[in-house]
Amino acid sequence: MIADNEGRRRIIYCVGEERSLREVLSEAEVAPLLSAAAKAGLPGVHVADGEGNVLWGAAGNAAAGKRTAARTVRLEGEPAGKVILRTGTPPGGTEDALLSLIADALATMAHNNLKRMLTTEMHTEVVNRSYEELLETNRKLSASEQRYRELAESLEIKVRERTQELARAMTRLVQQEKMASVGQLAAGVAHEINNPLAFVTSNIHTLKKYTSRFLDMLGRYERVCEQGGVAQQDRDGLRKHREALRIDAIAPDAGDLIRQTLEGTERVRKIVADLKGFSHIDEEGEGPADLNREIERTLSVMTQEIPPGARIVREFSPVPVITCRPGLFCQMFLNLLRNAFQARREGLCVAIRTGVSEDRIRLSFADNGPGIPPDRRARIFEPFYTTREVGKGKGMGLTVAYDIVTSHGGTIDVEDTPGGGATFVVKLPIQRGCHDQVR
Amino acid sequence: MIEYDDAEKRMVLKLVYYGPALSGKTTNLLRLHDLLVKEGRGDLMVLDTQDDRTIFFDLLPFFLVAPSGLKIKVKVYTVPGQVQHDATRKAVLQRADGVAFIADSRRTEAKNNAESFGNLERNLAIVGIDIDRLPLVIQYNKRDLNDITAEEEIRKVWGPTGIPMVPASALQGWGVVETFRTLVSRAYDNLDRKHAFRDTHGLTRESFVDRLASRAG
Ligand SMILES: Nc1nc2c(ncn2[C@@H]2O[C@H](COP(=O)(O)OP(=O)(O)OP(=O)(O)O)[C@@H](O)[C@H]2O)c(=O)[nH]1
Ligand SMILES: [Mg+2]
Repeated sequence: MIADNEGRRRIIYCVGEERSLREVLSEAEVAPLLSAAAKAGLPGVHVADGEGNVLWGAAGNAAAGKRTAARTVRLEGEPAGKVILRTGTPPGGTEDALLSLIADALATMAHNNLKRMLTTEMHTEVVNRSYEELLETNRKLSASEQRYRELAESLEIKVRERTQELARAMTRLVQQEKMASVGQLAAGVAHEINNPLAFVTSNIHTLKKYTSRFLDMLGRYERVCEQGGVAQQDRDGLRKHREALRIDAIAPDAGDLIRQTLEGTERVRKIVADLKGFSHIDEEGEGPADLNREIERTLSVMTQEIPPGARIVREFSPVPVITCRPGLFCQMFLNLLRNAFQARREGLCVAIRTGVSEDRIRLSFADNGPGIPPDRRARIFEPFYTTREVGKGKGMGLTVAYDIVTSHGGTIDVEDTPGGGATFVVKLPIQRGCHDQVR
Repeated sequence: MIEYDDAEKRMVLKLVYYGPALSGKTTNLLRLHDLLVKEGRGDLMVLDTQDDRTIFFDLLPFFLVAPSGLKIKVKVYTVPGQVQHDATRKAVLQRADGVAFIADSRRTEAKNNAESFGNLERNLAIVGIDIDRLPLVIQYNKRDLNDITAEEEIRKVWGPTGIPMVPASALQGWGVVETFRTLVSRAYDNLDRKHAFRDTHGLTRESFVDRLASRAG
């Protein structure tokens, strides 16, 4: 068996290899013939190959007066050997005839044997080759199967990689969305802080002026006292100066200014507190949360985003405390409320209802905007889906809300508000044995 | 070539009759056996057949001795034409020194001829024989029949290949010897190139062809 230039193994075997008489005839076949010949009166008859080597029978002695009679035995029509007899009888007799008969018998036997050998050989060759080819086919099949398996495996890896990439991209987008909504929130809060800050600053400037006048006035009193006199002229001078500085007018005003300023700083403090509460910046991980309070917190930081003249209806019923990351819920409420606040510019009414329904916490956020047509409802929670004009939102707000709700085992759906508008309904499972107080 | 024994000065060559089933390969060999001189030709060996269809092969050997003393034996084989005996065809084709492709001239057989020739090309490649260097002859057999493809048409197809085409009727006995002589003559070119038949062994193309394929009588 050898391999060809493509590395395929194959049997190299050629049908019809040359054969000698010895290979084609066997002792067992020839011996009976020769012994029968001996019995018939042909002693010393033997068979030799093409080179004269004795194959079967005994050559006997080359006795005097004896001649050699020989007949050629052909194989495939080619001389392959001889049947030889040493005899004393003259040629042309019975002995020669018998000799021819033996030669013919051997040739016929050889011919038939060769035919049988060729047939067997071919048969074996075909069987072997078919087997070889089967092995080869099998080898190729397993090779290609192996290749496909590798392909499939690398495909799986690629899919996994792409999935991870997508997941990372998604996380980045969600992160960006959060940053964007925080940015929007920050802008609103900044505006809200700016107001009190502006009049606090202006008040402090005025108070600074007032203070210098008070100090000026005090200085005068001091000097007069140091000179030891409170003469009439001194008292007049002091009174005139006091009038010039309008001390009597500014003294009560200073009190007002200080009260207002303290109010202003208090407002800023509250805003910061709301913001802290909303962001849960001091909390790490999960904790018990009162969702009503979280909604309030969210609303309190969004005052700037509420369109002027909008009506906010709060119909809060107590809801069981749930363990969660409250910051996430504030994020979700922010997204839902922002959606609602953008539903229409004038005459907006947003109704927030909380409570327990059918063993679940139910929170609904209804607006009286244009609503969401039924054919779009299935898609609004998909990433990048937005009905807002380009640039107003990335379309991730509802996706983020959806992710937060589902990760807490809840559902979020959109319904029609009776009379028009969209109502987002969040349903959350009630956590058994988790009714501890909110910290 | 099956064997070349330099010491014994002996060479065994192989020629193969290939073609679709029932195109007349066996009949060609039978005719050659009858038509060529007895001297130098061996016995025709027809291995087992099934309803006259070859299942193994047929074999007709020829002998000649070159002036140099080189003994040359040429074994002519037929393959079984039936599609299912492809493994046997491959085994017979192994180490062939020349191929006669026996096509069936009947129009209905055109597709079978083409398929069988494609099979020959494939099998030659498998057993490692370069078809462009292999002495090849095409015989269009059964020219005695009616509904046959016109010779003109055949020449148009095979002409460009440079492969000689011989029309024949193996049944009537014509074209058969010519096919064989053409094949032997082409094989001579290859052998002369490899073994210097003329220069070393004093064997010319004419004497090679004549000794192997002379008509009896
Ligand atoms: N009319 C006609 N019939 C032919 C001719 N040559 C062969 N045949 C017939 O075609 C039939 C098949 O001939 P084969 O020689 O056995 O065909 P094959 O190519 O050996 O067939 P497989 O051994 O099966 O491959 C026989 O009946 C032949 O008599 C021809 O020249 N003319
Ligand atoms: Mg046949």
